[in-house]
Amino acid sequence: MEEEDIVEVEVRYSEKEKYAVFDKEFMPHIDSMYNFAFRLTNDEDDANDLVQDTYLKAFRFINSFERGTNAKAWLFRILKNSFINDYRKKSKEPSKVDYQDVETTYNSTEDAEMDATTDLRTETVQDMIGDEVANALNSLPVDFRTVIILCDIEGFTYEEMAKILDIPIGTVRSRLHRARNLLKEKLKTYANSMGYKIDEAADEEEDF
Amino acid sequence: MKYQCENHQKCMKMIQAVLDGSASAEEVEHFKQNMDACMPCIETYKLEKSVKEAMQVKVEKKCCPEKLVLDIKAKIGLTLLLLGFIAIEVKLYHIFFSC
Repeated sequence: MEEEDIVEVEVRYSEKEKYAVFDKEFMPHIDSMYNFAFRLTNDEDDANDLVQDTYLKAFRFINSFERGTNAKAWLFRILKNSFINDYRKKSKEPSKVDYQDVETTYNSTEDAEMDATTDLRTETVQDMIGDEVANALNSLPVDFRTVIILCDIEGFTYEEMAKILDIPIGTVRSRLHRARNLLKEKLKTYANSMGYKIDEAADEEEDF
Repeated sequence: MKYQCENHQKCMKMIQAVLDGSASAEEVEHFKQNMDACMPCIETYKLEKSVKEAMQVKVEKKCCPEKLVLDIKAKIGLTLLLLGFIAIEVKLYHIFFSC
């Protein structure tokens, strides 16, 4: 949500109501917001700043929020835009990859990528511990990481994600699909480096 | 039972949408009708489900530090406002119930 999109059109709440809406509708989502900010920035200080800026912005533009509508999605959209506009450039994350570049790459190599990921075993994923799974997630480019966090960790629907990310539902589906293919590739590479059995061939070798 | 899936990319997107609870009614119906007859799709379903569950269950959820909650409330004046309400309630209590 750009600031120009959340310009107050009318005074919806009295001063007392503003605080009530903020406390009852916004504050219950603060842990999810912090987790999202941390997963985007990979840094606790940046996550603190991002969440604080988001909540202050939400309070400032509270008249744009209609009570009873989806407060969580509204807040996530502000946070995502604050991250893109204010934090992405100065983030401490070492390797930044522009989403457009990544999408172009994976559009052109999707078939090859599929061959590489189909032999990741369900059992291998089930055996992996949290840190290993988190490392694979963190190694994804931020735009791919974002859709996986929103869908799998925060449980947003495709429709809600489309609103948060300001993209069509079809793009949400495609981006998720590519993000998951890349995630499986990362999980497979990570599992391989940690000595997990990653395909049926490993079983056969063991049996032999 | 099929051992080759000629529409695997399309099926994979559909399976993901079903697991995400965002599939259309038609997709859900197609999934129910055809799922058991295609081995690559069955394997895909199991793998996609395990990856999704790993994200949900195994990735640590970071909680917001209490200090940040207090800082935000202080910055918008919510703490002050709540203390004001409490003070007023205490005063009212004393007025009505002190004698």
